[in-house]
Amino acid sequence: MSKLLEATGVVAGYGDGPAILNGADLSVHPRKVHCIIGPNGAGKSTLLKAIVGMLKVRKGDVRYKGESLKGLRPDKILRKGICFVPQERALFPKMTVRENLRMGGYSITDDSYLNNRIGEIEEQFPILKERHSQHAGTLSGGQQQILSMARTMILKPEIVMLDEPSLGLAPKIVREVFGVMQMMAKEGITIILVEQNALMGLKYSDWGVVLDLGRSLFDGPAQEILEDPRIQELYLGGMKDKP
Amino acid sequence: MILLIQTLILGIALGGVYALMGSGLSLIFGVMRIVNLAHPSLIMIGAYVAYWPFRLSNIEPMFMLPVAAIILACIGAILYRFVFEREARSAKYSEMTVLLTFALAMVVEGMLGTAFTNTQRITSPNYATEAFFLADIFIPKGQLYASIISIIIISVLSLFLKYSRLGYAIRATTENREAAELLGVNVNRVGLISFAIGLALAGAAGALVSFIFSFFPSKHWEWIVILMSLVVLGGMGSILGTVIGAFLLSAVAALVGTYFGATWSTLTFFIALFVVLLVRPQGLFGEKPELA
Repeated sequence: MSKLLEATGVVAGYGDGPAILNGADLSVHPRKVHCIIGPNGAGKSTLLKAIVGMLKVRKGDVRYKGESLKGLRPDKILRKGICFVPQERALFPKMTVRENLRMGGYSITDDSYLNNRIGEIEEQFPILKERHSQHAGTLSGGQQQILSMARTMILKPEIVMLDEPSLGLAPKIVREVFGVMQMMAKEGITIILVEQNALMGLKYSDWGVVLDLGRSLFDGPAQEILEDPRIQELYLGGMKDKP
Repeated sequence: MILLIQTLILGIALGGVYALMGSGLSLIFGVMRIVNLAHPSLIMIGAYVAYWPFRLSNIEPMFMLPVAAIILACIGAILYRFVFEREARSAKYSEMTVLLTFALAMVVEGMLGTAFTNTQRITSPNYATEAFFLADIFIPKGQLYASIISIIIISVLSLFLKYSRLGYAIRATTENREAAELLGVNVNRVGLISFAIGLALAGAAGALVSFIFSFFPSKHWEWIVILMSLVVLGGMGSILGTVIGAFLLSAVAALVGTYFGATWSTLTFFIALFVVLLVRPQGLFGEKPELA
């Protein structure tokens, strides 16, 4: 299978601190949903941050469509079509819902095109249209997550990376959030998902990657990972039969 | 009753100028988290830019307002580029910026003192000493004009922040720097532009101040207390808060001055600063302080 994005032997960490990633690999296949699982501190979020340029790639390389992303600023990487929704949802709480969407399209300079895109997204997510003049900070956790995800779609990105979109949400809302993710995937967006709830994350994914101690241990179809007894034992808590 | 109204009018007439003096401070804090203790000393530069042309060739200080704004904006861009941008990578950023701006204030004061001595200066266009009369109440023209111009400048700034693309970027960076960067904002460039705009506001304020208060290089220490108190009352980083804080404190200070004596008037600002920090440190419109 051809690869859209490929990280090889990535070493990265925060500031001058120790390396969190010690040679992590990631292969991203076009138009697939990928789920990165692994225990706390395995470097899952760190890997996403290194790909988008928020952290420096100390060793190794990240190639996107054959071109290295190493050393590029986050705004440059975004313009290449890679969006990142960080764990903290990263909204602008005192800006309205529509202003937040507009910020999602900040790199679009054609105003009428941007307005069109905002209109289209608001059609797709009626809740955002309904609350367009409300401050983003007044939305519920689930709505904020949906806004963060919808905001990336303004740019028609190639890849969207989601860092624990289910964090702190009730199960019913989590399903709604994953529903949005599936909708994005259906539109042809390649998804890279980091999920603490590994079982649920894998169920919604085509491809799975197991990361531990800053290295990639396993990489394969999500179904295979779900059925692999060793991985079940180590990383899925042996809860195969639970929902 | 007339005394009360008169006092309030005098207070409010000054409020607009205080608001302009404070808005640059607030903007720079909001975007860059720099508490710019040098802000009033830079306003002082603006005042001198207006003063000398008036003194030497009777040039209207208001004409010098855009010139002062541009000069200060350039100073801002240079300072940001060579001083604050480097510091942004420091782990002790907040502490360093306080020390740096404190040092900057001393340097500016020293240079102005050397160049122009510590003589009290004031520009005196005709309107500075004239007034409008409404029955028994008078409104000094100088303060009124300065306040109106200040409010116009702040309104333009607010519209710019609300509707322009760059304004969106500045607001987004103020609220969440990392998220803004992820959405494609070049936050470093936004920092530079905001710093330049903040100092342009200082320059504009300086030109207006030149005919309202008499000034000399070390007077900025008195102004910093006033500015800090109204910016803190309004909520650090909120321009609207700064404007409301300015009018409120300026009116209260005028009342205190009238009923308790002018000596006590400045004390209003000190006390307000204390009380706000004790009771509501985030001010009227600021964010709640985060525990980091």
